[in-house]
Amino acid sequence: MADRLVLALALLVSTSALAAETAPRTSVIEADVVDTPSVESDGFLDPLRELKFNPGLDQREFERSTLAALNVYDPLESMNRRIYHFNYRFDQWVFLPAVDGYRYITPHFVRTGVSNFFNNLGDVPNLFNSVLQLKVKRSAEITARLMFNTLIGVGGLWDPATKMGLPRQSEDFGQTLGFYGVPEGPYIMLPILGPSNLRDTTGLVVDYVGEREANFLNVAEVSTDHPEIFLLRAIDRRYTTNFRYGQTNSPFEYEKVRYVYTQARKLQISE
Amino acid sequence: MLRPLRLVGLLCGLFLAAAASARDIDPATYGYPLNNPFEATIATTPPDQRPTLPSDDDINQSDYSLNLRPEREFTLPDNFWPVKKLRYRLARQDHEAPLVFIIAGTGAPYSSTIAEYLKKLFYQAGYHVVQLSSPTSWDFMSAASRFATPGVSREDAEDLYRVMQAVRAQHPRLPVSEFYLTGYSLGALDAAFVSHLDETRRSFNFKRVLLLNPPVNLYTSINNLDKLVQTQVKGIDRSTTFYELMLEKLTRYFQDKGYIDLNDALLYDFQKSRQHLSNEQMAMLIGTSFRFSAADIAFTSDLINRRGLIIPPKFPITEGSSLTPFFKRALQCDFDCYLTEQVIPMWRARTDGNSLLQLIDQVSLYALADYLRDSPKIAVMHNADDVILGPGDIGFLRKVFGDRLTLYPHGGHCGNLNYRVNADAMLEFFRG
Repeated sequence: MADRLVLALALLVSTSALAAETAPRTSVIEADVVDTPSVESDGFLDPLRELKFNPGLDQREFERSTLAALNVYDPLESMNRRIYHFNYRFDQWVFLPAVDGYRYITPHFVRTGVSNFFNNLGDVPNLFNSVLQLKVKRSAEITARLMFNTLIGVGGLWDPATKMGLPRQSEDFGQTLGFYGVPEGPYIMLPILGPSNLRDTTGLVVDYVGEREANFLNVAEVSTDHPEIFLLRAIDRRYTTNFRYGQTNSPFEYEKVRYVYTQARKLQISE
Repeated sequence: MLRPLRLVGLLCGLFLAAAASARDIDPATYGYPLNNPFEATIATTPPDQRPTLPSDDDINQSDYSLNLRPEREFTLPDNFWPVKKLRYRLARQDHEAPLVFIIAGTGAPYSSTIAEYLKKLFYQAGYHVVQLSSPTSWDFMSAASRFATPGVSREDAEDLYRVMQAVRAQHPRLPVSEFYLTGYSLGALDAAFVSHLDETRRSFNFKRVLLLNPPVNLYTSINNLDKLVQTQVKGIDRSTTFYELMLEKLTRYFQDKGYIDLNDALLYDFQKSRQHLSNEQMAMLIGTSFRFSAADIAFTSDLINRRGLIIPPKFPITEGSSLTPFFKRALQCDFDCYLTEQVIPMWRARTDGNSLLQLIDQVSLYALADYLRDSPKIAVMHNADDVILGPGDIGFLRKVFGDRLTLYPHGGHCGNLNYRVNADAMLEFFRG
């Protein structure tokens, strides 16, 4: 209770301090409204009273932002949309039922082990790419992760590194290209794999070839004889991906996914 | 002779008034950590103060679909294929149990976060649970709504009622002892109208009905929501749009942190960082999300009814056609625009309706005041700082519901639904 209070107080103090710092009040009337949240006789605390509105209530900022956000270079839109619908159907009729079956036949700790194992394999391209981007600290962390997880975590089935404070950080060749200023190119909806663009698709191919060449823990070599490893990896990928087609429940999901993908990649590259 | 009687009457009245006053939760003992209504609305309760809930693996649940409007198979365009049938989710107990219907809020599908949360809460307490999409959601409008113009609460309730009857008919062997009903936000308003309809149709005889953060005056609510995108946000200028500003903040936050980590606690951590959002920015964010709902509703309603306001009637659409030009047009229509351009004309034509005031009276809780006053089985939980309320709305709730209103001092719009104290109160009400 006490620390909750302290927390609330700290929050209050910090917000009001910052508000004072960043928004010098222009008039006394506004300051009054902000400082004493009004309580009506029936107990209503009108949250809108504390907001500063633009006087004419006629700003078009929502429209301006959203229209700008719809500007994504997408010359293959018609084909992309068809592939998007194909993926949606494939997901509903093949992928998700497979994931449900996987969930049904395996206990939770097995699924976590499988995810950890493939994540550990994925740390090889992560390391490779963070070295290419000359990120020293991150490369050291990923190397430590690889060592701890492969040795203590028995080939990556456990993930002791995350518990030690070394969280997973993903870097792929698409991000490396972006880091060196390669533009995104046209937006591409890949069959089954989902949203991408020319740069990231190239990155995907490079990472795939790199992983085969590295042949870490001999997995790449073994999986040529045993395609079920591929299958398991695909199902694990879907199992750990939270996105569901139709989750935005909007006729404009294609546009929304396109925007979010583009921005999420920018975020990953700049970080 | 009359005078003592009058005195007795007065005393009785006073006594009743005292007995029937709302349950006001004291801010000091409530302990909800977020005093800012916008923060509460966006971030909801911090993870460690939520109730412990079962994971999806421990719930026996599936999605089902209903074919309620078979003609839409032919009239809807190809790229609407996912919503030609209405989907819903049923979580079943392995023994006889009461069943709870959950109605989602504005624009939200049956699988929305809050509906999922409520499902887990009630399932854990031993109920069967059915999650239904809101009548304003894309799938419901396309697959279940007769007029596909949501907003007239009575019609929406009628559509919902048919869906609920069809759900019951699809599971004749499910052992149900009695029926309960709940909804949040707009879904709570729908729940009130559904409960009223059930008094004459009697398919369910709901034992208890719980309204969570309902709008009181629907027109006030949509005006408040429309107004949220009119806040003056610092940092927006000619070269920076609102989204760019948000993304810059997010980027800087992750750069400070050193890595990207998306989890439940992200929003609190973000609000504690140097990049935290101001009230105006949060209001804009909430307003933006509702504007997207408004755009979806306006577009879908226009398309299904062939009104030609956003998309020309009979415009050929295949799975490959771009909807972006129509999206651009639809997003310029807020709730008020949708109401004026689509709801009111249809309502006037169908029911000989008249003025806006008359419509507001018909679609808001006002229409049910007498019913709600005399129905002890209906209760409402609300927050004193909810953005969808206007002056006088809480007074109305106090007058109508009396001690069946529980008023929390904080929580914003639905932000405290997943707070432990609220969860206990909800279960307690259904337990009776």
